[in-house]
Amino acid sequence: MGKTSKDKRDIYYRLAKEEGWRARSAFKLLQINEEYDIFNGVLRAVDLCAAPGSWSQVLTKKLKENTTNADDVKIVAVDLQAMAALPGVKQIQGDITKLSTAHEIIKEFEGFKADLVVCDGAPDVTGLHDIDEYVQSQLLLAALNITTHVLKNGGVFVAKIFRGKDATLLYSQLKQFFELVTVSKPRSSRNSSIEAFVVCQNYNPPSGFVPTMINPLLDHQYCDFNQLTGPNRFIVPFNVCGDLSAYDSDTSYPLLLDGQTTYEYKEPIQKPIDPPYKNILEKTKNMQLNK
Amino acid sequence: MSLLIRTDVTAVKLYEEFIIAGIGSSLHIYEKNTAKSFGTHNYILEGQKIYGIVPTKDKSKILIFGGKQFKVIHRSNLELRLFDFSPGSVLCNDWLHSGIWTSDNKIALLTAHNVVQVWDVSNNPILISCTINKDNSILYSGLITPLIDDILVFSGTVFSEVIISRCECEEPLHRLIGHKGVIFSISCSIERGIIVTTSDDRSVRIWGLNGPAIDRNTKAFWDSVTISCIHELYGHLARVMRSCITNRYVISVGEDSGICFWDSDGTLLKKIGAHQNAPIWSVDVDEHNLVTGGADCGVTMHPLTVASDYSDSDTLRIGEGTPKKLVFTARRNLAVLNETGHLIYYVIAEKTEIVHKIKHESTYVMLSISPCKQIIAVADTNGSLEVFVENCKGPASVQNVISTKLQINKILSMQWADNRHIVLCSESGDICVIASKGSEVEIVSKFLLPHCKERWLTSAAMNLDNNLLVVGDRCGNIHCFIKEGTNPIKTFAKVHGRYGPTSIRIKNNGIISTGRDGTIKYFSVYYNNGVYRIKHTSSKDLGFQWVEKCIDSQDNLICGFQERVFVIADLRNNSKLLEVHCGGGHRSWDVVRYIENINNGYEQIIKLVYLKNSDINMQTFCISKITSKDIIKGTHSKEINCLKSHHPQLEESATFFISGGEDTTLRVSIAKESKHFQDEVILKHLSSIRTLKVFLLEIDKLLVVSGGGRAQICINIMHFVKDCDDVKVVVEDVIDFLVKGTDKERKGAKTWRNCTVDFDPETRIMDLEVVEGKDNCFLIYAGCSDAYLRIFQFKYHDDKVTFKPLGQLKYHKTCILKTHCVKFLDKIILMTCTTRGEVCFWDLTEPNSITDNDATAFLSTTTNKSGINCIASKIISDSEILLATGGDDNAVHVKIVHIPNEDFQSAEIVHTWTSDRFHGSQITGVLLKDNIMVTASIDQRVTVFKISKNGREVEFLYQTISDVADIQGVDFIKKSGDTITVCVFGKGIEVLALSLEEANFNCHNLGIL
Repeated sequence: MGKTSKDKRDIYYRLAKEEGWRARSAFKLLQINEEYDIFNGVLRAVDLCAAPGSWSQVLTKKLKENTTNADDVKIVAVDLQAMAALPGVKQIQGDITKLSTAHEIIKEFEGFKADLVVCDGAPDVTGLHDIDEYVQSQLLLAALNITTHVLKNGGVFVAKIFRGKDATLLYSQLKQFFELVTVSKPRSSRNSSIEAFVVCQNYNPPSGFVPTMINPLLDHQYCDFNQLTGPNRFIVPFNVCGDLSAYDSDTSYPLLLDGQTTYEYKEPIQKPIDPPYKNILEKTKNMQLNK
Repeated sequence: MSLLIRTDVTAVKLYEEFIIAGIGSSLHIYEKNTAKSFGTHNYILEGQKIYGIVPTKDKSKILIFGGKQFKVIHRSNLELRLFDFSPGSVLCNDWLHSGIWTSDNKIALLTAHNVVQVWDVSNNPILISCTINKDNSILYSGLITPLIDDILVFSGTVFSEVIISRCECEEPLHRLIGHKGVIFSISCSIERGIIVTTSDDRSVRIWGLNGPAIDRNTKAFWDSVTISCIHELYGHLARVMRSCITNRYVISVGEDSGICFWDSDGTLLKKIGAHQNAPIWSVDVDEHNLVTGGADCGVTMHPLTVASDYSDSDTLRIGEGTPKKLVFTARRNLAVLNETGHLIYYVIAEKTEIVHKIKHESTYVMLSISPCKQIIAVADTNGSLEVFVENCKGPASVQNVISTKLQINKILSMQWADNRHIVLCSESGDICVIASKGSEVEIVSKFLLPHCKERWLTSAAMNLDNNLLVVGDRCGNIHCFIKEGTNPIKTFAKVHGRYGPTSIRIKNNGIISTGRDGTIKYFSVYYNNGVYRIKHTSSKDLGFQWVEKCIDSQDNLICGFQERVFVIADLRNNSKLLEVHCGGGHRSWDVVRYIENINNGYEQIIKLVYLKNSDINMQTFCISKITSKDIIKGTHSKEINCLKSHHPQLEESATFFISGGEDTTLRVSIAKESKHFQDEVILKHLSSIRTLKVFLLEIDKLLVVSGGGRAQICINIMHFVKDCDDVKVVVEDVIDFLVKGTDKERKGAKTWRNCTVDFDPETRIMDLEVVEGKDNCFLIYAGCSDAYLRIFQFKYHDDKVTFKPLGQLKYHKTCILKTHCVKFLDKIILMTCTTRGEVCFWDLTEPNSITDNDATAFLSTTTNKSGINCIASKIISDSEILLATGGDDNAVHVKIVHIPNEDFQSAEIVHTWTSDRFHGSQITGVLLKDNIMVTASIDQRVTVFKISKNGREVEFLYQTISDVADIQGVDFIKKSGDTITVCVFGKGIEVLALSLEEANFNCHNLGIL
């Protein structure tokens, strides 16, 4: 995290700590599910870029409701970074651009394909919006690429996007693989942030498409039906998800919420493991910084 | 058409006598020596920021790249332009990180998926070859370097390593492992044999090459070399974005606005700050200069020197005994008071000294020099006073002109109030103003200093007609006395915190004071019929705690201390001119600034003298050799959240922008023609500024109300006045109000830990509206993030200013994002918009009516699916208001509210038009002007619509793209003929002229890729 990121400690940050989620993003997935019912009948799910693991937590809780036998539920979490263990979640520390990772996932599912792939990964934001948006779109396309190896036909793919200047390129790319693509903004995601989620339903790759990992998927280019400017831009439907009565992430709430009589501070559930700034923190603590 | 652009400067290049900067999609060319603009080329790339500017060796061509596009431009033969080029650019299928010329007609490009593309650019660019490197997950940085017999590729991966490979070799040659975070930049100097990498982990690493003694520009060398990290350097306080290598230094720039100069041993030679704490995105060097481009939209040129290169440092031995106090005289010699109380006059050039022995009855001796620096006064507590005058011509010396014993006991302080009057303060607060009379002195006037703990003065000043005396006492108060009275006519309590004001100056109907609270304060003085009216007008935060005094006649250069460092700051551009580690302000020291003719050029010199461990240290700095120069002046360092434009009647050609942003500053900037843009005033809030509204009080006098984080509302009055040929902005800060109270008010005497009061620091003022009431009274309606609508009353009449809350209303369940007022017939309607997409209409004709808790809106409607980010309205008839909103759902809604016979209760929505086809992300700006509607969105598109007279038809006219990322809104500037000029703001600012003529649409459409 750099200097440019804004403070995101809103009501959901607090609720996440109180309800035991590792990050407030858990609420985003829950609210997406409220709207699209993406967990319906899902037994095998993949969580890409899973760390710190809040979406895996949601998956374990929700998928159990789909079966009487908890062993039927298989959840695989993939991330480059180490993630604290979660019961019921198989972790793979690996690169989503590698074919071997796709094979490992399939192996976990004993040859079956996944019903649902989710990805809440975000890059290290630099503060230069176009680079950040590009890197995010490439992360999403890398997630899509591995998804083409592991997702069953008709499956669902949910991923984070940055709605920046070239978002339409990504929409048109996704539309090639899914019948239904919608952009969705959970109420737990701030109004002011450029983050949103694409909910891609009914996986249906173009006929003759052979999944490959050799070439990365690149985003589309502006063309006749998706121009840089003008009325012919490829814009997909937008939806807000989450109950109207849900908390609003932009609203400031009093310390004592409705029905509460006392407030107790809670530590974050899962602190960062080995962040890049770890060394310098130690150095500044010990005043070794070269002044 | 873009008329003005200021945004992230993502590329800079020193090119012959020019500086080329890539700002958004345009190239800005400036002359290096004069900082004059030599032209701007817009739309070099299409809707894409420029990230690289790479000239050929002979400088006849330049490769420009950014995003997925590149283009080659040619040196022009014309005298007045530097480059020729044709529209359009080449689009690659991937993001470009690095580009080089491999020959006169060939370029090599490195893409974000680690692919090297070679293009022939002799005519229409043709892709010749494509080398896909093995590791093709996304790169954050990369560098390609030509070798004699191949192309060398450095790839900075997300896995914190740098992979070095060659195009002709399938397997990577080397992996540089050590960084703990993403690699942000790679530089390589083959001549010096080093590679420099910068990273997310805040470190700069220098890697050394250890290879065979053969040409380093060959693949044979790189195949057999071993590379190891020789230095792991920490000097930045945030991520390190870029680096460059010169013959002597390694220079790194970071997100912390820091520029670090390292030598080859890894020693940090110098660290300077530039770009107002914003990240530095780009850097380039030539033999003598370093140029940087930052997120504050500025470009700055720095001399390629470290401080020791152009400064003299000397330790002076003067007289016997320990020196206690010293000052510079008018001839820039030193007057030193030593421990025995003798005055030593030291001529610096000749290194000679003259001792004036003074007999003191007390050991507490004071030394003070007049503002003209020619008259030195020495006094002790028992009243012995000696006055010396320095001669103007001939061999330098001082002459003792007065030697007397005053009938004043226990003198505690002595200051010169002007060049004739000395102000003495003695026990029990007696203030005596004395002036010379022959070889004696007389008491001119006497005053009584009000009671305070330490009852003496720290500064004093007198106006020209000797009528007004302004003094600062040890406890931080400023008192104003007039000759006729003993007691102050006006007291400003604790204006500079709890320490005494460090300096006071009276100048042209104004008082300027400085203090140890980090500020410089301005007061206005009106004199009418024997009555003085003195009032505090504004305050400026300098960023260092101890502000001592102004050192130039224009009051632009301010000196002081930041902890142990002596600082000189330039008020004009908020930059630090000089920093000297001297130990801090609790010592005797003095500084002079002067202009000297050196080699037929005028140089600004600063001389600092200070005592440290009983040594007299003197340092001389030649400012032009060590300080940076702004080529393009920076502005907001983060997103601009709100902006209003103003055309002063005094000067039609100038446009002023009043803007507030995430960087917590409120700025007033002037734009003249298309190139000149600069901040005139910078004011601060405690937290981000979300909104500002203006109200024209009288010609060229604006009421500016701003609000934002920490539930803070500030009110400033801005006067636009003529100053020679320019228009100047004079600010009067009137109100600084925290809805939830100041920290002190909220917690009382308790510490935060033991505090049980409701501490709610998160409430933000999201938007506000100003409505004029009767008798200089204004009503301010503030929509807050805790869903309350708060109402305040502001009264402004001459000196009297009052601001009080009238009430608050909680009607909405969630955060109010926008408030908007419209005058309808003789009534006032307020609209409030929330994060749930509702718009509620309130009748404000009776302002108190909505402070009742059971007040309800007369009409409520839902437009957008979620948050409404912008709203605009227009009266279309006596019974209809047209309303346009833009929201988070990409949609723009146009609604018509029908109000029959002014009966609000029967108001209804009679027409709705909506579309989500035109923007791909949040719509954050909407503007209605005559029959035109303009919308702006975070997707950087600006769309123009035409609305029929009755509001029932909305027609798309055209769309254009802006270089400003994260657009937060659009403001109207002017409409003339068929052109409407607007300003979009967000991460930067762009002024766009939108032509409405039919013929122009086609021109615009040609620009589409």
